[in-house]
Amino acid sequence: MLNEIREPQCAQQAGASASDSGTRTSLGFRNFVVGFSHRHFREVSVAAALLVLLAALAIFAPAFYQPQPLLSLLTREAPTLVVACGMALVIISRQIDISVGSQFAVCSVSAGLLAALNWPLALVLPASIALGAALGAINGALVAGLRLPSIVVTLATMVTWREALRWLRQGEFVNLPDGAQWFGLSQVTGQITLIVVALTLLVALALAMKHLAAGRFVYAVGSDAEAARLAGIRPQLTTFFAFVLLGALVGLAAMMNVVQSPQVDPKSGTGLELKVIAAVVVGGVAISGGRGNLWGVFAGLLLLACISPALTHLRVEAYWEKAIQGAIILLAVVADGLRSRKERH
Amino acid sequence: MNKFLSFSIVAGLACLLGCGKSSDATGGSSGGKKLTIALMPKSKGNAYFISCKKGADKAAAELGIELIFDGPTDPDPARQNEIIENWITLGVDAIAAACENKEGISTALRKAKARGIKVITYDADALPDAREFFVNQATPEGIGHRLMDEAARLCGNEGEFAIITASLTAANMIEWQKHIEARRASEYPKMKMVALRPCDDLKDKAQSEATALLSANPNLKLIMAICSPAVPGAAEAVKQAGKTGRVKVIGLGLPSENRRYVKEGVTDSVILWKTEDLGYLTVYAAHALAKGELKTGDTRFKAGSLGEFEIQGDNLLLGKPFVFTKENIDQFDF
Repeated sequence: MLNEIREPQCAQQAGASASDSGTRTSLGFRNFVVGFSHRHFREVSVAAALLVLLAALAIFAPAFYQPQPLLSLLTREAPTLVVACGMALVIISRQIDISVGSQFAVCSVSAGLLAALNWPLALVLPASIALGAALGAINGALVAGLRLPSIVVTLATMVTWREALRWLRQGEFVNLPDGAQWFGLSQVTGQITLIVVALTLLVALALAMKHLAAGRFVYAVGSDAEAARLAGIRPQLTTFFAFVLLGALVGLAAMMNVVQSPQVDPKSGTGLELKVIAAVVVGGVAISGGRGNLWGVFAGLLLLACISPALTHLRVEAYWEKAIQGAIILLAVVADGLRSRKERH
Repeated sequence: MNKFLSFSIVAGLACLLGCGKSSDATGGSSGGKKLTIALMPKSKGNAYFISCKKGADKAAAELGIELIFDGPTDPDPARQNEIIENWITLGVDAIAAACENKEGISTALRKAKARGIKVITYDADALPDAREFFVNQATPEGIGHRLMDEAARLCGNEGEFAIITASLTAANMIEWQKHIEARRASEYPKMKMVALRPCDDLKDKAQSEATALLSANPNLKLIMAICSPAVPGAAEAVKQAGKTGRVKVIGLGLPSENRRYVKEGVTDSVILWKTEDLGYLTVYAAHALAKGELKTGDTRFKAGSLGEFEIQGDNLLLGKPFVFTKENIDQFDF
């Protein structure tokens, strides 16, 4: 699976043969109809798994459904959702970005430091988004401009940003000034604001991916970059902007996380890349690009996010948590593998 | 995923080699027969170890030695081994390591010993035959008892409490938990531990875990956080749940990271030894060992401006853990 990601441009034949079997060249109407039912099968099964988990909790651990902890859980996951949306775009375009966790930390710490300098949050927010977009642009330029494999480029930037931050901050927390938490709003208003922002972005991006030309370009490039180019799309430009958009979303997400507590942990975002890539894959986006949608990602993220609190409520020992998450990811990947085998025959 | 794994390992190695070379170069250029001591934290971004490093730097300056400070970016036994191997190749004079996993690191440390490098451990021990001394920041017994005593005092000797740890595999945390449990069973049988959750050494995850603990255990009276990022994480969760005062928070942590919550009354006690002293004592001990001034069988050891420390067998003791509270927390700036 990684071969396919690593050599999106240089191995055109391999890419073409892999996506021939897919159903995602947006040009063929019949293909689209066949693909439609397939696509929805995947999202529906994830949503069903989520509902089963929620139902089990309702029966065995009704305490899970209390307003404050639930609101808190959703607020904690709101930034992750924003990053997952961006990651889905990048993966659909047949690339990957494993540096998001480090970008998140860089943006968080920078935003924290600016806030500590008494910058108004109305300025810190765009600064964080711009910084994220700039970090994304570096990845994008290296991947699209120099045609380097995205997993290697983002592995390098992941290590670089993380280590640079460690060197600069030495692990020290950034203390925010009073009034920065929840943008100065009350806790509940702040939490609801963050959730609404994340959901609005989800809906907007999901609709854009489906109905805007730019959205379709992403699918086209992810399915078959050469075919997309022949159809008049500029694959490199599309890839570049997918990375920039992901970076900007990471910058926004970082800010959404920073305002949730009065101090910034410079290690924040550690493991974020795994979390969002897992949500994207579980949500039915093909790691080989060109297929999937954001509704599935949303369901995938909620499913994975509920596992840990669910285990606490069901009094299952913490040893099981990662095993269960791993099993879900494996199940999703195997399901994808089986399906693409079936499609090939 | 195998390829991804090997990729990260290769990249990690490349990074480590780079770091090693640069410190070698600076060591070489200073000339003379300056001793080189390599100090390894469990993870180098952790403020706890950064604070240790401050004391270590002070000791290194006083002794006029070269100090290398390097470790995994996240607590990772395999990466610790790679770094030790690298230091063996570099030919440092002494290694002082805080071990993420007892068994995991011991082979590499034995190899270092066989090459004539003096090996001590601090903060978290390796197997005894893999090192000469362990600089014991506080015996696990001392820590476990202190935590449990504080918890019982705040709960009035009865009620439910939960523990948040860094990871379920960290040897020193497992040891502490054992002593917490032993103390609970013998002294406070009416206290009940209802859950143990790991937070991967991240403040954000600790907050999420604490939130779930609070809602799953309505009778919870206290959260005990035994790794440093978990203390402010748990405090923020208690505060957001509106349970300040009703659910107490105590833990092992840094005063600077908890000052806000201690003053607000969310966190009651932060327990820790003086971390800078730990780094300072470790470097002094490694230096004395490399010079042959510290030998097995000694019962006292003098470390610069800190004075004398007790040695029990092969454990060099830093002393009793310290409790930071609302009253004294402003006197400490680490």
